[in-house]
This record gives sequence, structure tokens and C-alpha cells, in this order.
Amino acid sequence: MTPFEIGGLAVLVIGTVLLLSGTAMTLSATNRRAFKIDVAPKRGSAKRGVAYAFSLGMAPWAKESTRRHLIAYVRGIVFHTGVFGALAVLMASPWMWQWPEEIRIAAAAVLTIGAVAAVGGYWIRLTDEAVRKVSTPDDYFSLGLVTVFIAIASTACVVESIVPGFWIISGVVLAYLPVSKLKHSIYFFYTRFQFGTFFGHRGVLKISRRAQ
Amino acid sequence: MTETVSPNLKEQFGKLIDRRLMASLEACVRCGICAESCHYYQADPKPENTPFFRAEQVRSVYRSMFDPIGKIAPRWVGAKPATQERMKELTDMAFTKCTLCRRCTVNCPFGVDTAAIMRSVRAVASANGEAPEILTQLADASITREENMDLFKDIYLEQIEMMEEELQELSGDSTARIPIEVQDVDVLYVALSGAHTILPAARLFHETGTNWCLSMFEAANYGLFIADTATAKRITDRIVKEAKRLNAKRVVVTDCGHAYTTLRWEAPNWYGEPFLFEVTSLIELIAGWITDGTLKVDPSRNPESVTYHDSCNLGRISGLIEEPRIILRAVCEDFRDMTPNGENNYCCGGGGGLVAIEEAKQIRLKAGKPKADQIKATGAEFVAASCDNCRIQLGEIATNYGLGTQVTGLPELVLNALVPNMGRNES
Repeated sequence: MTPFEIGGLAVLVIGTVLLLSGTAMTLSATNRRAFKIDVAPKRGSAKRGVAYAFSLGMAPWAKESTRRHLIAYVRGIVFHTGVFGALAVLMASPWMWQWPEEIRIAAAAVLTIGAVAAVGGYWIRLTDEAVRKVSTPDDYFSLGLVTVFIAIASTACVVESIVPGFWIISGVVLAYLPVSKLKHSIYFFYTRFQFGTFFGHRGVLKISRRAQ
Repeated sequence: MTETVSPNLKEQFGKLIDRRLMASLEACVRCGICAESCHYYQADPKPENTPFFRAEQVRSVYRSMFDPIGKIAPRWVGAKPATQERMKELTDMAFTKCTLCRRCTVNCPFGVDTAAIMRSVRAVASANGEAPEILTQLADASITREENMDLFKDIYLEQIEMMEEELQELSGDSTARIPIEVQDVDVLYVALSGAHTILPAARLFHETGTNWCLSMFEAANYGLFIADTATAKRITDRIVKEAKRLNAKRVVVTDCGHAYTTLRWEAPNWYGEPFLFEVTSLIELIAGWITDGTLKVDPSRNPESVTYHDSCNLGRISGLIEEPRIILRAVCEDFRDMTPNGENNYCCGGGGGLVAIEEAKQIRLKAGKPKADQIKATGAEFVAASCDNCRIQLGEIATNYGLGTQVTGLPELVLNALVPNMGRNES
């Protein structure tokens, strides 16, 4: 291994340790908070509500807001496809160069589109007055960090020598996640679950009423 | 400017943060797509009228207290100290710029509960005596009434007696009664103050031969609006004790959004267990009577065009979406739903206790613009609503925006449509 590879791997390992410990602390701090089970007699099914919240409830047609902001929605989907694609590349990076070139080029193309969509996040953040007013330095930095992460993941698919550099940026992203706005990736599961239980239990969601 | 309102503020706020609230405080990515879901923003599209902007003002204080990075590098994450001025702004915002309607929640990709965030601000304000005086006074009045029941009882009984005479006249039946304090009753009916929610229900109970009695207490619970759980529970407790004492099988709440939400959904959680009696809305009861044929109705008796406004508390928050439509389709010749409706309805602007806050009148009338536009688009002559606060607000926006629409309640439309001598279930 070259010093560059050793350094890259070290940063990645440290980043992973910080991610795991930071996430554990975040989960612990959150789960220490009271969790109130709704004891009011149900009108609908909370389980079906949760299933809906994590499936059809996220479809673009499910909400007026996503129908209205379809371009922003599609950008978000493409951007997050890029994020998950980059994570997949990270996990596959030790063996990736054994794959056929066509697959690596295709992955690079998908990630490039994801990175472009990530840059689109700046456009929304800067052009929408309300969003701009509430954006923090952390919002811009997090977006930038993830954009670079996806872009380098894309490059790493076709330029082998950049892989250790990709490990370094991955380590930074992983370490930064639990202490920044990137932790929405943890809280997403909480809020969607709560959305499903609340509106499902009360029979507000049609799909939860049908179960009764 | 840097001193906090109360040295206990962090403790007060911290106690309110359960897992649901914490997730809502942490999850928002400020994507901005909830903006148009709010009726305030629809009426006046300014950044400060978006749900995420308002919630962000609370989050900035939350981060200064509870976020490690917010404490070390506040500017990096937008953390701001809880100065007196800021807390005053937050209180004003939570009580007058958000009706807790949760339309933004159903439109948020995360499902962030902005109403829960605003409610936490209301709770902190109430704990520090900063809640709007009128809401606190109304909550206190409910408790005073219970504490001085002997005094109130005589006056109340006299009022009931007068209403009973009116009921007999309206129903054309001298045996019609407004019973109170009936042991082993099937239905304990909890109305609002005033005859308008007692007489129509009393006529329907009479027509259906229901074994019922009227509660000694009113359904309104302003403890909910000031987010003071102890007060809200105390107000609820009057009804719970009465229902237990009378061994009531079912407590029926009049058509009032927040009263139903309180007793049906919130209160069991304050007691930590479901009630031994069933809690239903008068609307559910009427829909059931129509569906099973107990009430015979003739829609031609309501020939005017009627639209329906879903109270946020009854519709989006309690799931009573089909029931009012079952009633309206049966009793009206020309029922026209407004768009959007059901769980996607727009708040009328009077929710969250705003109708009672005189200082917020101009704000709520302005925020009622999307609802006025919705009503106008239906071309309906009448707008029906199942919530007293909504009806007050709808009446005012009808006048304010020159809609020429009359406001009515569902029981009134049902009574209009009752087939004479056929309404009573002889069995």
C-alpha cells in the first residue's frame, strides 16, 4: 500500500468510528426522551400508517407540496440517489477495479448526474428568499461536502489513483454527519414513523381507515 | 438583550421535549417546499409566513440550549440565545401566526410536526404567565365554574328550564326534555355555552328516542390552546368525573373541533389509559343515525347549495372526514365539496384559539383569505362547519370578503331535512 492509500484508509476508519459513536450518542440522546404510546382508542391502523409513510406517502403525487414543487422533488430524488450511489461505491471501492469498465462508467455517469443535482441545491437555497433567510453556514457546508463526496465517488469509478482521496472525503463526511444537518438522515426515520403512527392511529390517512 | 426570560427556561423547554418533538426539531432540512401549505403564506407570501421559517426561529433557541455545536459555534448552526425580546416574538408567533392546523405536517417530506413545535412555545409562555390573557382567563373560568358549582348549578338549571320550553315549542311535543344528572345514561352530551349547541342536539336526541342527559359542564377547553396540560386535564376531569358518576356509556361531544380532539385523543394520554366510556362526536352519532335509518331525512328540504369546511381538529387531526359528508349528501340537495378538502383542507384562520384573541383579529381575517377563495369557488349559498370557532371565523370572513355566503352547522341542516312524524325511531 502507498502512503496515500494508508492515509486515506486511516481517515476513513477514523470517520467511521466517529460516525458510529456520534450516531450512537444521537440515538441515545433521542431515545432517552419520553416516547408516548397513544392510549386513545384507535380509529385507524398505526401500522398501516407507518407502512404508508415509508412507501406511497413519499410518492410525488401523495402531497400537494411535492406536486407543486415537482422539479425540487425530482432534484432531491436524483441527489439522494447520488448519495446512496456514492456510499455503494465506497463499500465496493476495494474490489471496484475488478468490475467491467462499462459498469464503472455507468456508475460514474449516474453519480455525475447526482452531483449536478447536488449543486442544484445551492440554486434553490440561494434563489428562494425564505430558504436563503433561514440557511445556516452548516447548510451550505454540508451541501458542499456531500457534493464533493458524490463528485469524487464518480471520478473514483474511472480514475483508480483517486480512490484514496475518495476515502479521505468519505471519512470527513461520515465524521461530520452526526454533528451537522446531515443528521436528518437519522431523524428522517423518526419523523416518518411518527407521522405514520399519528395519522394512521387517528384514521386520518385513507389507507389506515380501510384496515378497520 | 442577552439575558434569558427565565433562568428555568432551559429546564421548562427541556421537560417538554419528548421524542416526537425532538425529531421535529432536528429533522428539518429547510428545503422550503412546505411554504404554500400554510394559509398564512397563501394569504401573504412573505418568508416569515412559511412554516419552516417560523419553526426555525424556535429551533435557533433550541440549538443554543441543547445542540453541542450550537453551544460551541452558534453562528455555524444558526443558534440564537433566548433573549427576552426573542421569546416575546416567539410567543406572539406561536399564539397568533400558527393555528396548529398541521397542514404543513402532511405536506412535509419528513412529516415534521410544526404544530408540536409551536405548542411547546405556547407551553413555555403559559408557564411564565406570557400566554394571551383572554385564553388563560377562559381556561380559568372553566375551573372556577367547577369550584363554585353550587352557585352555578341553580343558574344553569334555570337556563335549561327555559331552553326546555323552547325545545317543546320547536318539536311540537310537550314531553320533550333536556335531562340532566341521569344515572346509567346511554349518552352524556357535552355542549358549548349557549343554546345554539344544546337545542339542535336536544331535538335530535328527542327525535331518535336516545337515553341521554346534558352535561353540567361545557366542552370548550382553553387549557389546550395555552398548552397547559395540567389545566387542560383539570378542565377535562370535570366531564370525566361526571361520566363516571352517572355511569355513562358514551360521552358525545358537540360539534366543536378542539373539544373533540381534547376528549377523544389527548385526554386519555393525560390519564395514561383509555376511558371506560366511549367518546364520540355528535357528527359521528348523526351520521350513524342516517346510515342505519334511525333518522329519516328529505334532502329537498335543503334545496340551497351547501359546501363544507373541514375543521382541522375534526378532519386532519381526528379523521372525521367521511361522517360530515354522509350527513350532507343525505340532507342537502346540492352539496358541493370545496377543493382541497378532508385532510388537505385549509384552516379557516380561526383555529388554535385565535378567534378568542381580539388583538389577532386582523391577522386571522387576512389568513382566512384562502378559505374565502375556496368558498367563493364553490359558488355555494351556505357553508357548513362542525366547529363553533370555525363558524365564527367563517361568518367574519364571509362578511370581510363579501362572499354573500351564510354559515350553518350540520345539526341545523339535519333538523331542516327531518321528515315530520317520521324522524322518531318508534322501536
